[in-house]
Amino acid sequence: MTIQTEPLKSVSDIERTTLMTFLSGRIASMLGGRRWRRLAPLAVLVVLCILITIANPNFIELRNLVRLANSAAVPLTLAMGLTFIILMGSIDLSVEGTLSVAAMVVVLLAANDSNGNDYGWWAVLAAVAAGTIMGLISGLVQTMLRIPSFMATLGMWFIGLGLSVYMLGGSAIRLNDASIRDLALHRFLGLPLAVWVAVGAFVLAAIIQYHTRLGRHILAIGGDEDVTKLSGVNVTRVRIAAFALAGFFFGIAGVLAAAQLGQSHAVIGDGRLFAAVTAVVVGGTALTGGEGGVVNTLIGVLIVTVLANGMILLGISPYIQQTVQGLMIIAAVALSLDRVRLKIVK
Amino acid sequence: MNEVFSIRQVFEGKWTQGAIPLVLLVALLLIIEIAAPGFLTGETLALLFANTAVLFILATGVTFAILLGGIDLSIQAVASLASVMLAQLLPSLGFAAFPVAILSGLAFGLLSGIVHVKLRVPSFVATLATGGVVTGLALWVSNGRAITIEEAGREKTAWINATIFGLPMVVLISALIGIASFLVLRYTRFGRQAIAVGAGEPAAWAAGINVDRTKIIAFAASGMLAAVAGVVLAARLSSGSPVLANQLLLPAIAAVIVGGTAITGGLGGVARTAVGALIISIVRIGMTFVGVNIFLENMVFGAVLIAAVAITIDRSKIAVIK
Repeated sequence: MTIQTEPLKSVSDIERTTLMTFLSGRIASMLGGRRWRRLAPLAVLVVLCILITIANPNFIELRNLVRLANSAAVPLTLAMGLTFIILMGSIDLSVEGTLSVAAMVVVLLAANDSNGNDYGWWAVLAAVAAGTIMGLISGLVQTMLRIPSFMATLGMWFIGLGLSVYMLGGSAIRLNDASIRDLALHRFLGLPLAVWVAVGAFVLAAIIQYHTRLGRHILAIGGDEDVTKLSGVNVTRVRIAAFALAGFFFGIAGVLAAAQLGQSHAVIGDGRLFAAVTAVVVGGTALTGGEGGVVNTLIGVLIVTVLANGMILLGISPYIQQTVQGLMIIAAVALSLDRVRLKIVK
Repeated sequence: MNEVFSIRQVFEGKWTQGAIPLVLLVALLLIIEIAAPGFLTGETLALLFANTAVLFILATGVTFAILLGGIDLSIQAVASLASVMLAQLLPSLGFAAFPVAILSGLAFGLLSGIVHVKLRVPSFVATLATGGVVTGLALWVSNGRAITIEEAGREKTAWINATIFGLPMVVLISALIGIASFLVLRYTRFGRQAIAVGAGEPAAWAAGINVDRTKIIAFAASGMLAAVAGVVLAARLSSGSPVLANQLLLPAIAAVIVGGTAITGGLGGVARTAVGALIISIVRIGMTFVGVNIFLENMVFGAVLIAAVAITIDRSKIAVIK
């Protein structure tokens, strides 16, 4: 079967370039070679900042920059986890489900206005553990049942969402634990603690990607899974570990989101998947896997947050944000796809 | 020759041949009839069909995308936008609001298809992105609120809520759409080509099929049927809202896959989706009946989706499962 289809596939690789792929390929190569393409997201970020500052100088006021950092905290933590999954060439659609489970756990176990629990920071630990377990299950489902990750995580998305809404009884529950609320309210060096947690998540993700075996293996799987397997890497284990790692970051993000809102409710995750995917893709991590990384994603998150902030400053309806993000995903993917490696697109 | 007899193989084979879903449906019906005698009467069945109609129309649309081996994650957004447009435009345009709302779905389906095919973006990302674009537009148009269809508009949507010969109009609409889609898939050139592309894209391409055009048409059909579902939903609820259909994405995809259409493409069809949609609908009624918390529905459907995908998927078609 494989022997028969291989040559066919390679024929279709070469022949089936349409005008539009040709054009976007040309635009990409006009933007320069590999090195320039790598710097393109940074250039976009800088240009964006300059344009918004010209239109509304309030943008670079310290107060606005702090606000910017604050609103980037949750997306950054989420996108760190998602980056590892996309680096493998997979996708995790369960972002919102896992985040809402973690937020639900922290709110229900710490002091709240619904039950008598008051476990303090053990609740945070439990929430992060819950996120990790959700990721672990995604990984197990994907590798053991051998189904594509977008289907496995689509299922997990709604399992998580159903679970958290059920546990919350369909209503909003307030978080009353002062020390957890301090994540959003207390400031260190002028920035809320949540921002420092997000920075910590970034540093951790960078260390994992660049200095651990797991990080290298994830990158290798994204580059070529067969070759990685042939070189003796236990691909299944790495995949499961990567999904659990992503769940760990989603869990932290859930705690931050609950602390920032001061409560947890059914729609705490709404729109987060979208922002996270946009950030990862716009930062330059290829959906085909093996290219990009957490530094790219940092820039991607900043682009998404700066744009959202700038649109508010310019008085554009916040409702249109998802539209802009959707168009950004399309543009970024179209420009960054490595066409040499492209087989059949499904 | 020395093949080990495997229950799993038989089970998978039967499911993908469409036999098991049908048996499951009949079994579910019988269980409910035993638990609550009188369920299998014309009236309650008509109600069951009416409650399944919107789900079935959505699922029929996404069947086209899944048959090609793709997926459409924008259907709930397109349906919601159509409901908003209908509610918004009924006072000024009158009956013309119906075609406008449905054509908007067609347009965004086309957009998904073009982005997916021409820019070579994987369909789940392409439709996730267009879904975001559409949701943003729906929020913007409606200013983030639900729009009630006023008395004057309700006169124009009354025909959707009417009953003809004891059958609710929505059932007739969904039956009409189901039969038309069935005939299109089975007897038109597009339908055959769609199945061929889903079964084996390189072979279909080598046989001279215009793969790109087939895919774009399939996604356009998916978008248009999603909009029809949104319009019907808006007429039934007398309101349009940018989040109206958000809860329907998962049941719709689950209906297609539980019915026996494989996500790897090329296998399945609208008749199976009808069976799948009825199963989902009955499971939902059954859960309320047994007393399962309504908030747990999503959990059940998520698990059902994963299980059904695991059973129906054709693993020989994917070299590396990502």
